[in-house]
Amino acid sequence: MRTKLLIATMALAGATALLVSTIDAQDPGETRQRMADLGRQHKTATDLYEALKADANGGRRLIPARLPDWTGVYTRARGGITYDPDQPRGGPPTAKLTPEYQARLTRRIEMADKGVEWDPISTCAPPGHPRWLTEPFLKEFIVTPDQTWLVNEMVNDIRRIYTDGRDHPPEADRYPLYNGDSIGFWDGDRLVIHTNQLRSGIYQRRNPDYTDQVETVEIWRKVNPKLIEVDVWVYDPPALVEPWYTKQSYAKLDDQGKSLRIRYWHCGENENNSVVQTEGGSTQFRDFTFTDQDNAQGGRP
Amino acid sequence: MTVNRRVLAAVLAAFIVVAVATTNAHHSATMFEQTKTITVEGVVKEFQYSNPHSWLLVDVKDKAGKVTTWGFEAEGPSTLQRAGIRPSEFPVGTKVTMTGRPMKDGTPAAIWVLAVRGDGKRFDPREGFQVK
Repeated sequence: MRTKLLIATMALAGATALLVSTIDAQDPGETRQRMADLGRQHKTATDLYEALKADANGGRRLIPARLPDWTGVYTRARGGITYDPDQPRGGPPTAKLTPEYQARLTRRIEMADKGVEWDPISTCAPPGHPRWLTEPFLKEFIVTPDQTWLVNEMVNDIRRIYTDGRDHPPEADRYPLYNGDSIGFWDGDRLVIHTNQLRSGIYQRRNPDYTDQVETVEIWRKVNPKLIEVDVWVYDPPALVEPWYTKQSYAKLDDQGKSLRIRYWHCGENENNSVVQTEGGSTQFRDFTFTDQDNAQGGRP
Repeated sequence: MTVNRRVLAAVLAAFIVVAVATTNAHHSATMFEQTKTITVEGVVKEFQYSNPHSWLLVDVKDKAGKVTTWGFEAEGPSTLQRAGIRPSEFPVGTKVTMTGRPMKDGTPAAIWVLAVRGDGKRFDPREGFQVK
């Protein structure tokens, strides 16, 4: 029985290896379909991650003298603040949602069309992962042998990816985290990441919700000197009928003048940015310090 | 598509100017008009160069001589810097013509769409989202 299981696992890993290794030569539409199929072939994010790890013979350990060069300042290359960069313009998100979460999304879009919109990060909460992938400002990626830090400028938001061979914490000791717990391994020039232990959130405005059961598998790769691409599979059974595959990308910004710097980001430093959720569920400024009306009223609403 | 063509496409994509949504990243822009714009002329009172949003405060005088301070909201420092908008571009007293999407409730505040300084130089904060 154990032998059969081992053979089956090796066969699945072999199929995964063949699929991933041949994907580079495909056109984007075909690649997207094949990657989505790869997600469907694995019931959970853990299954997909373990198959990729088996394919990579457990992955390799980086040595300081031969680290991938991911230096520089990056920003999201495509997608604006839509989660899936390949979402048709004006069309709905590409996720296949369960009826409950489809209804939530439909209502969110309908209300936004009526001018009623609230974003949970308006109170300066971090966006959390997988929304982290979509935030539009500056990013840095710091590779070391034992950890890779994925840094988002907004709210000083760092994802630490442990590549030193450790596992996730025991299930009984897990609790919801904004960016979850991420472990990974290197497969050639690819960084493969599994993230669990996440909090619920939204992928973006006018995009679906995800639950605290959400998990992701990512494959990060620098495809040329100016671009890092990321294959992302999101698993979230309460909200998604099947894994949601997207390709994210980050462009290295031209910084010949060495003027780009990532500074400390204090979301509450300017009270003129403070907003509140109205009784109707929408967004309004709390107060301005520059209008006679607001100063006289001592704030609103 | 061959590997080389795919790489070429990726390189080109990295240099393409990307138009992004006009909503603000920290909060929804639903309190602002979505299509209507206003244009006012005045002088810079203060440039609050801050995260998550910056505010350019402009004193606008009406025909009766009453001064109203308008606030124009844009993104934070790193995005403005990428758009070529630095604090030194707008010292106090600078003459400026501002175009923005005003608040729906009539408060003298707007999303900064375009600033044209007295010397004719133009400043569009959204250029800070261009990928180049």
